[in-house]
Amino acid sequence: MSARTAQERPQRKGSIFALNESNPLVPYLFLLPHAIFFFIFTVYPVGYGIWISTHRWDPLAPTQPYVGLEFYRNLFDPSTPQSQFFWRTLLNTLFFTAVSVPLLIAVALGLALLLHRPIVGRAFFRAVFFMPGILSVAVMGILWKWMFENQSGLVNIIASEYLGLPRLPYLTTEWLAWVPIVVGTVWWTVGFNMTLYLAALGNIPQALFEAAELDGAGSWARFRHITLPLLAPTTLFVAVTTVLASLQLFGQSLIITGGGPTRTTQSVIMYITEEAFSNNQFSSATAMSFVFGLVMLVFTVLQFRIMARDMQGGMR
Amino acid sequence: MARTVEKLPALAREPRRRLPRDIPRFLLLCVLAMIFLTPIYWMISTSLKPESDTIAQPVQWIPARPTLENYREILASPDGNILRWTWNSVVMAFGYTFVSVTLCVLAAYPLARMRFWGREAWFWFVLSSMMVPGIVTLIPLYIMMIQLNWIDTYHALIWPGVAQAFGVFMLRQFFLGIPRELEEAARMDGANSLQVLRHVILPLSVPALVTLGVFSFMASWNNYVWPLFVVHGDMQTLPVGITLFSSRYVTDYGKLMAGTAIAALPVLVAYLFAQRYLVQGIALTGMKD
Repeated sequence: MSARTAQERPQRKGSIFALNESNPLVPYLFLLPHAIFFFIFTVYPVGYGIWISTHRWDPLAPTQPYVGLEFYRNLFDPSTPQSQFFWRTLLNTLFFTAVSVPLLIAVALGLALLLHRPIVGRAFFRAVFFMPGILSVAVMGILWKWMFENQSGLVNIIASEYLGLPRLPYLTTEWLAWVPIVVGTVWWTVGFNMTLYLAALGNIPQALFEAAELDGAGSWARFRHITLPLLAPTTLFVAVTTVLASLQLFGQSLIITGGGPTRTTQSVIMYITEEAFSNNQFSSATAMSFVFGLVMLVFTVLQFRIMARDMQGGMR
Repeated sequence: MARTVEKLPALAREPRRRLPRDIPRFLLLCVLAMIFLTPIYWMISTSLKPESDTIAQPVQWIPARPTLENYREILASPDGNILRWTWNSVVMAFGYTFVSVTLCVLAAYPLARMRFWGREAWFWFVLSSMMVPGIVTLIPLYIMMIQLNWIDTYHALIWPGVAQAFGVFMLRQFFLGIPRELEEAARMDGANSLQVLRHVILPLSVPALVTLGVFSFMASWNNYVWPLFVVHGDMQTLPVGITLFSSRYVTDYGKLMAGTAIAALPVLVAYLFAQRYLVQGIALTGMKD
């Protein structure tokens, strides 16, 4: 039944706003409130972004002249500062992703394996490992900045007072500055992945392990040949969502290191917002966000396909 | 992963007690839990120390001279009104959650239950918007806020994100699982669609609604990027506000940690109560925001 026939037909029962079965407009009335906001604040901004990135958008100028793909070309012209910083901060972000994602998968899996079998205080431990994830990035960032403070941070205090190690100026040393960011991020988000792994582990039939045990498989063999393969779909999902989250690194760097020293921990989103809100180069920043969006699209499409697959399964 | 996760980690399955073998595992878990709790403990400990003790050596695990002075000073700080920021966050998070869940319920119901032209197409269109990363719409939305004169208003904090795709997706999946017979009985009695939704579907969907509500609330409460740019001064939200403190009180960690604790503790307390829904929600939907 199409919307068109609905409008042509004389209103049989009351007005077109009647919420009974005979009114074919009912589903559309239900969708309408969401659809209005969806168009204004989700669909329109994407199109508007394309317009902004192909014009020179200046809040103070009377006209916004069309410049075509100039801002996109700038990103591929090595002589512009935009291309220099954009690709450099993108590499920083990829570095962070390459370091943090394996950690976030391995630690999550380790915690889930520790908690999978019943143990005293299991609910408590699960709650503790998940807890940091509910905090705002602001709280998490300030906490870890203090933990890794160059002189009196707890990490340096423990290193020097208890382990006899030298104090390291984590926050202001190239490469070392990544340590608080990565450690903080693992602490902050590993609980999500752990929860997903715990759910998946709960679905592995216990009989499989018992059969393998009878066949003389040791615990490593059981892990290697039963647990890991059966967790593969979960691992794929966890990996994709974690990569997506890591690529969007922003608050951790901004708060813990401010992107320093000398931009070595600046993420690409940080640079895009700097270009927009500090340099007032809104068009250039929008062009960057679209290029970066395309880089991310590889992973978002993957995530989307996994979700769609699961949903089809769930419908039957 | 909706398909693979039909039940939560089976607590019931417990073949036999293996206490001695469990001891190393238990001790390892205790050590890990201590490591996880250390930053929180250190925040509280630091916030209760006078300034000179925060960097005292040897390290003071327990404040030697505990004081609430830091809290008193940060609440009266001339650099920012932390109570006002908290209020802004409350208004934003409740406003956003209420509007967003309402919109998602209304949109998810016909997508799960009614037959109409364009249903599948619209569902996939909404769902595919989840592929657009937030950074892509950040600047256009910011410029729209300028044009709407919404900078430094609650409007900017609440409206732009309310039409979330995830909520529609999650509720639709949940509604699909409710037996149709229940609805048909109500229709026989002459209930219209809105009444069916209100009196049949919603009472059966409380777990899903609470989960979506908790997710939405947390996403809004913890949101950092958006409020950082669209609101300033007294209109700032709590997370953005306390990072301002972190640049003001660079060396005064007692005050900074008091401010951070004020932001963190209500959330941690709420977590003690809502924990169940969060963990279930993540396990059931396989999603994080």
